[in-house]
Amino acid sequence: MKKGNFVFNRVFTVLVFLFLYAPILLLIVFSFNKGNSNIVWSGFSLDWYRKLFSDRLIMQSVYTTLLVSLLATAIATFAGTFAAIGFHALRRRSRNVLTTVNNIPMMNADIVTGVAMCLFFVAFFGLWTDFAVWFNGIQDVIELPTRLTLGFGTLLIAHVSFNIPYVILSVSPKLRQMDKNLVDAAMDLGCTWMQAFWKVILPEIKPGIISGALTAFTMSVDDFIISYFTAGSSSSTLAMTIYGMTKKRVTPEINAISTLLFFTVLLLLVIVNVREARLERLGKQQPAVRRSPTVEKLSAALSTPRGKWVRWGGTASLACIFVAAVALLTGATNAQPVVNVCSWGEYIDESLITQFEEETGIIVNYQTAESNEALYSLLKSGAGDYDVVTPSDYMISQLIEEDMLEELDYSNIPNFQLIDDRFKNLPYDPENKYTVPYAWGTVGIIYNTTMIEEPITSWSAMFDTQYAGNVLMFRNSRDAMATALLYLGYSLNTTDEGELREAFQLLADAKKNGVYQSFVMDEIYQKLEGGNAAIGAYYAGDYLTMLENNEDLAFVVPEEGSNWFMDAMCVLKDAPHKAEAEAWINFIASTDASLANMDYIWYASPNKEALEQYPAYYEEEYDEPLDPEIYEIMAAPAEVLDQCEAYLVLPAETRRLYNTLWTELGI
Amino acid sequence: MSKELIRLRDLCMAYDNEPVLNNINLYINDKEFLTLLGPSGCGKTTTLRIIGGFVTPTSGDVLFDGVRINDVPPYQRQINTVFQKYALFPHLNVFENIAFGLRMQKRPDPSDPTGKRMMKIPEEEIRERVMEMLEVISLKGFENRRPDALSGGQQQRVAIARALVNKPKVLLLDEPLGALDLKLRKDMQIELKRIQQQVGITFIYVTHDQEEALTMSDTIVVMDKGSIQQIGTPEDIYNEPKNAFVADFIGESNIIDGVMVRDKLVQMYGKQFPCLDGGFAENEPVDVVIRPEDIDIVPVEQGQLTGTVTNVTFKGMQYDIIVDFRGFKWLIQTTDHSPVGARIGIKLDPDSIHVMKKSAYSGMFGDYSSFSEEYDELDDASLALDEEESGDEE
Repeated sequence: MKKGNFVFNRVFTVLVFLFLYAPILLLIVFSFNKGNSNIVWSGFSLDWYRKLFSDRLIMQSVYTTLLVSLLATAIATFAGTFAAIGFHALRRRSRNVLTTVNNIPMMNADIVTGVAMCLFFVAFFGLWTDFAVWFNGIQDVIELPTRLTLGFGTLLIAHVSFNIPYVILSVSPKLRQMDKNLVDAAMDLGCTWMQAFWKVILPEIKPGIISGALTAFTMSVDDFIISYFTAGSSSSTLAMTIYGMTKKRVTPEINAISTLLFFTVLLLLVIVNVREARLERLGKQQPAVRRSPTVEKLSAALSTPRGKWVRWGGTASLACIFVAAVALLTGATNAQPVVNVCSWGEYIDESLITQFEEETGIIVNYQTAESNEALYSLLKSGAGDYDVVTPSDYMISQLIEEDMLEELDYSNIPNFQLIDDRFKNLPYDPENKYTVPYAWGTVGIIYNTTMIEEPITSWSAMFDTQYAGNVLMFRNSRDAMATALLYLGYSLNTTDEGELREAFQLLADAKKNGVYQSFVMDEIYQKLEGGNAAIGAYYAGDYLTMLENNEDLAFVVPEEGSNWFMDAMCVLKDAPHKAEAEAWINFIASTDASLANMDYIWYASPNKEALEQYPAYYEEEYDEPLDPEIYEIMAAPAEVLDQCEAYLVLPAETRRLYNTLWTELGI
Repeated sequence: MSKELIRLRDLCMAYDNEPVLNNINLYINDKEFLTLLGPSGCGKTTTLRIIGGFVTPTSGDVLFDGVRINDVPPYQRQINTVFQKYALFPHLNVFENIAFGLRMQKRPDPSDPTGKRMMKIPEEEIRERVMEMLEVISLKGFENRRPDALSGGQQQRVAIARALVNKPKVLLLDEPLGALDLKLRKDMQIELKRIQQQVGITFIYVTHDQEEALTMSDTIVVMDKGSIQQIGTPEDIYNEPKNAFVADFIGESNIIDGVMVRDKLVQMYGKQFPCLDGGFAENEPVDVVIRPEDIDIVPVEQGQLTGTVTNVTFKGMQYDIIVDFRGFKWLIQTTDHSPVGARIGIKLDPDSIHVMKKSAYSGMFGDYSSFSEEYDELDDASLALDEEESGDEE
């Protein structure tokens, strides 16, 4: 009986730890995987780590993260320590009130803090613009910048502000433990308050300050949500970059960087805890020898008069390095021309960015958004201060409708000539005043040929009970409804309530009959690659990436036709770097860049030459001919495209109906 | 020991409009051992902190050698302090703790004829002076210990050395023995007095322990509720208390309502007793103090007053007995045992009677009816260390 309990306890403990650590363990293991799958182990390799360190987006965000964390930690530690001393000097009642006020931000949901800060900054910028315009108007000695934007500065302010409470929290107890007469004693013995602070208070509360700083640093490195809302377009922390990369799929590269991040934070936590444990132990023991002989000797040497110069010299040179680093960073970004680009994750061959920078001397801040809707809300809230964005067709019409795009000067974009005429003057921009197409593709059905006997040709497969439990449906209303509308033979852009309700009924019935295994977005990779589902509707380019991991997958554009989409580059209204933005667009539209991009992202380019040359390019790159069938999936031939329809922006009333129906479906 | 060193003139202090000191007037002579004595919250520590420069009085002046020093910060006063619970610097060893004040000092560089250039005290001199202090406090060989590796008494002595090494003119001591046990406290009382005589400077000592005050002081200042109640030598304070508060606070006292019939004759319990006091109006109501050890127990028939024994406690040297005289309970200390319930008589010599004018404290003290609780407190060494007046209690 007793033994049974013992075994049960053991098993239970193991299960708990497994539950806690299995996901991270899996992530770490697969960061060493040779292949690019998260399911199939194909041998040990450090390739992903190597790739990581040569990835400029990631390295740049590592740099940003470290810089913002170090600066924020330094400032917050300084401010927090003095704030804690101030709190401590107060009467108990006011101190308790302030302590509570101090604790609230730590408890507060990050998302609330992030959104609030973003709103605050944007509101402040508005007021600042009014002020600067007025100020520049009344005098011309000093020219104030009229336009402030979210960026490294706001990111730093946000980090400082959420770090300060942690520093106060860890310094305060040390102050409370301190004999309140110590400062008086020091002043009694000839110290001014400042001297007493350095000679007595600081040594006493040093352990608190150090753990406060370590906690603050950990929080900074760790933070995603608050950074996301306050970093703007020109800065991106590591966590933000990782998030952007996961838009398409979790690549082993993300595993590698996550592993490194995990161990960095783990290391910091271990240091904090070991320190605390050691201090506690030392506090109990008779403190005979606290320092090693070497340390003792060194500190003895440093406390001699000559050591004083060494000390000051050391401090001064550290300060210089710090200041130089900051100056370099701010100087570098200010002096050089810049363009802020926002696109989708895994949607560019990053060597193109380096190439562009080398050719033009313009620095590219490349950011990613999660979806058209996320991009739209970033732009609306003022948090996304970009020059170039790459939204999809229907979002472009919405942006044009709301006067959020700048007309392009096509004389600066000669490569627009190279765009295939089929892709000019499309319905979202009929006179082609605002856009240069970036990439396009079709939606179709992906299915596993080992699980489905006969080839699929119709959208009916998405509603067929014979595949019950094996079908994956889109987890967004527009795409999901589209599959039903296509099957019923209606337009994708229909506003007819009857047609929409009919399509909805089709979806609802299929759901009720258990056709759908689940409603997914990027999880579809795992499910189809691993053979966990047989059928799913998704984008052609993504199919090609899946094919690399599972050769049994097939893709079809059903006979009823399908949805095709175009993502196009546009410049936002009043973009501060319009000339640079047009240079970037021109560069990306070139044939060479288009070929490189096509090869990397597996979506078709609108560049006519690139479309024609790609099979030859492929053969040269990989020493094998490009399978024409695959190329047809990637760049659908004209006759297939003719059957497809692009999304248009729907009237508000119809959008509301979509929302109502989607809610009714209960995903 | 006649030269006046410090004078407090009309000193008032209030925290948040809450008065803690009312019109304190006091002078302190050079080389004097003066004790501020009073219960928690009486204002004694505040007075000390004003002298030390840690708080600024709301009104009134602090004069040092005739110069007003209200606004002189602590680090510029020739005064050093030994704090409650010592306030040693935990991160420094004994040597560095004692050397702290010396390292902060600057003095004119002798090699500079203008005398403007300042220099620090040379390291050799610091070492010499610290070692000398260690000798004074008998802690040679402890210089590398950290404060938390010392006993309470040792820490206490380091705190004293740390202050004295600066050769101050005045040493302030804020309940320095409060945290020590009884035996050690007695030893340290003698030690402190010895050190004071050895270094020959003024000590201003704050305590709530009347015995400590009586043992060590040249002058005692009894304080209560922010006012000085009496200033005098220990003998004066004990033998001639000015009011019921002082009489009760210093030693044990039976305080009885009386009427001064005329000079040298006081009436209590309807009977007249000869005494030595005079200077009162005829038939002026007064408080009569009779110390418990000054009462002679006699057979009932010989007694000026007779009462019933209600409680007896054996104290070693004597018995403390509580005797009920018509509902008013007296404490009598005697070497003779009287059983509970016995009727006894007492006799009072003229010099055992002390007559005081009526004061705000009349009727508040001197009755031993609630004897048991009060008695427990008398020798309570750990009687709440003054977390007084400043209101920032932890």
